[in-house]
Amino acid sequence: MAVTYEDASAQVAPRSSRLIAFIRKNASIFLIYGIIILIAGGAAIFSESFRTPSNMANILRQSIILGLLAIGQSIVILTGGMDISIDMMARTVALTIATLFAFYNSDPSLILPLILLGIVIGVILGGINGLLITRTHATPFIITFGVAFILRGVNLAISTTPIRGIPKEFLLIYNTKIGIIAVNVIVMALVWFLVWLFTTRTRLGRGLYAVGGSPRIARLSAIRVNRTLVWAYVLSGFFASLAGLFVLSRMGVGDPGTAEGMTFQSIVAVAVGGISLYGGRGSIIGTLGGVLLLTILSNVFNLIQVNIYYQQLLLGLVVLIAVAAYRTPRTVRSG
Amino acid sequence: MKSTTVKSNWFSSLFSGFRPTPRFVRAVDLAGQWAAPIMILIVLLVAAIFAPAFYNPTNLRTVAIQFAVLGIVAVGQTLVLLVRSIDLSVSAVLALGAVIVVQTEAGNSLIVSLIQAFAIAAAIGLVIGLLVTKRGVPPFVATFGMLVFIQGARLAYSKGQASGTVPDLLRTISIEQVGFIPAALIVWLIVNLIVMFVLRKTRFGRWIYSVGGNPFASRYAGIRVDMVMIAAHTICSVLAILGGLILSGYIGYVDLRLGADYNMLSIAAAIVGGTTFTGGRGNLFGTAAGVTLLVMLLNLVVVLGLSIHWQFAMQGLVLVLATALQGFRQFLLSR
Repeated sequence: MAVTYEDASAQVAPRSSRLIAFIRKNASIFLIYGIIILIAGGAAIFSESFRTPSNMANILRQSIILGLLAIGQSIVILTGGMDISIDMMARTVALTIATLFAFYNSDPSLILPLILLGIVIGVILGGINGLLITRTHATPFIITFGVAFILRGVNLAISTTPIRGIPKEFLLIYNTKIGIIAVNVIVMALVWFLVWLFTTRTRLGRGLYAVGGSPRIARLSAIRVNRTLVWAYVLSGFFASLAGLFVLSRMGVGDPGTAEGMTFQSIVAVAVGGISLYGGRGSIIGTLGGVLLLTILSNVFNLIQVNIYYQQLLLGLVVLIAVAAYRTPRTVRSG
Repeated sequence: MKSTTVKSNWFSSLFSGFRPTPRFVRAVDLAGQWAAPIMILIVLLVAAIFAPAFYNPTNLRTVAIQFAVLGIVAVGQTLVLLVRSIDLSVSAVLALGAVIVVQTEAGNSLIVSLIQAFAIAAAIGLVIGLLVTKRGVPPFVATFGMLVFIQGARLAYSKGQASGTVPDLLRTISIEQVGFIPAALIVWLIVNLIVMFVLRKTRFGRWIYSVGGNPFASRYAGIRVDMVMIAAHTICSVLAILGGLILSGYIGYVDLRLGADYNMLSIAAAIVGGTTFTGGRGNLFGTAAGVTLLVMLLNLVVVLGLSIHWQFAMQGLVLVLATALQGFRQFLLSR
């Protein structure tokens, strides 16, 4: 069961064993941040260009796209599902908004309405996912996989070439900086904090854990399982749309290759961060670690100029090792 | 699923609070089993009315070869789905076999490279099986990790180039005809008959259904569940490589995009044909019907002169609808 009872036992235990219990409970989080410090430290020692402040700021900014997608993915995976369609939802939003900008001659006054429209599209797509999954009791993984293919077809129909005509002001989302730190990094830090508050302090957030732990027990505990699930997919669509808009601002054109391969990266980030892929366990803080780890790895790969083909191989190797090191709680799972 | 809440909107009251009559359950069950044959008839009718070119002998021959390739891969996928697992690495394995054979053919005899390819496929299947059974990794994560790894390995090995000519023997198998039947179709028939015999008449076949139906009970009944699952994954990978060889023989060259859609297509074919994700239900007749339906639909997109992008959307739509239907059927049958 995902609902934690540690508070009651922790209060009676003496201080030292409380610390040990805390470390043991959050072992995966300590592990991931330990690995990050190791890799970043090693890279900082060996690579001149890695330890420059501007590169550090750049890593933080690069982590935003994966971060947004991984937040959505975490929320869904906490419920025991998985959302394969997030990269295609992000692409649909990016291409639609780019097309509309191009159609209205990149009118800067349309920026706010179109951002809202993009978010609405993401939310609707996520809602469709959620309704399909809860109403038909089908496997989330396959439903979203199918939806991803449908959206891939739709996206190809929208455009196969980059769409020009994004107004200059829209690019400020990516470019605005205070000193060397981009404003969007600060906003993103706030988003991570809010999501952490959401998953730990709100009723819906705790409901995600309960549903992921055991839908049956959650139902018996008067949690609206279906409603919680739909919310999870809606949130996933919401964050995917934010990621799509962010990519649009970064590229400056509607790129038909938006977020290619990001679904798998987001799942890896979530899994490496210690959220159980069976749902119900783990923390959004771990996901942040996973996102940072993947971003730093790709940055280091580029700096030490690993051949692009071997990068793929290394990524696959990292994934396989992570997968093989994966431990499942040996509990009987009941629907 | 009885909803205890007083307030509920019309949409959820349509589904979540309802008590299905036995007749309704039976209708959904029959629909799940017969969806593919019925749809095939409809598609044949639509083709006869809107696209008579579909019945052109050359076109039918193309369809037959595509059918053979997808059919062979889908047989393996059905086996894996029957034991409650899933294999997302078939597309990578399929392409890998072609690459190995084409590249080693230059130096070695064809037999050696064929043995090499099949041995590697068996090893991949074995590793996936071990990950799933001994490490308790969720199947889609293990196989998705394997997919990324194999693709990376293939890129590193081939340096991203489209490679050489396909051996004559493979071209013969794929292109020649026996009478008016393409030889590839005969390969499919042999594979299908063998697996069908194994599933229906041998102990191993009964084990597969038993493990998929209830792994815990199977274990208590003395079936070596892990062994059966590993065997199913190994067979699936080997069949995937066989499909890849025939496909490469048909196309005549090997590039990076080869067979990329076959994950999606093989899963969709099995699901449309009445195999459920929860294992233990489904058979090869259904899968063959599913394969027929998908290949015909893919071909119709071309024959009708629609943009090729709609093939993606069509595949996704078929997968979503089939998954929704099978999920709902499984839900009704198991309540």
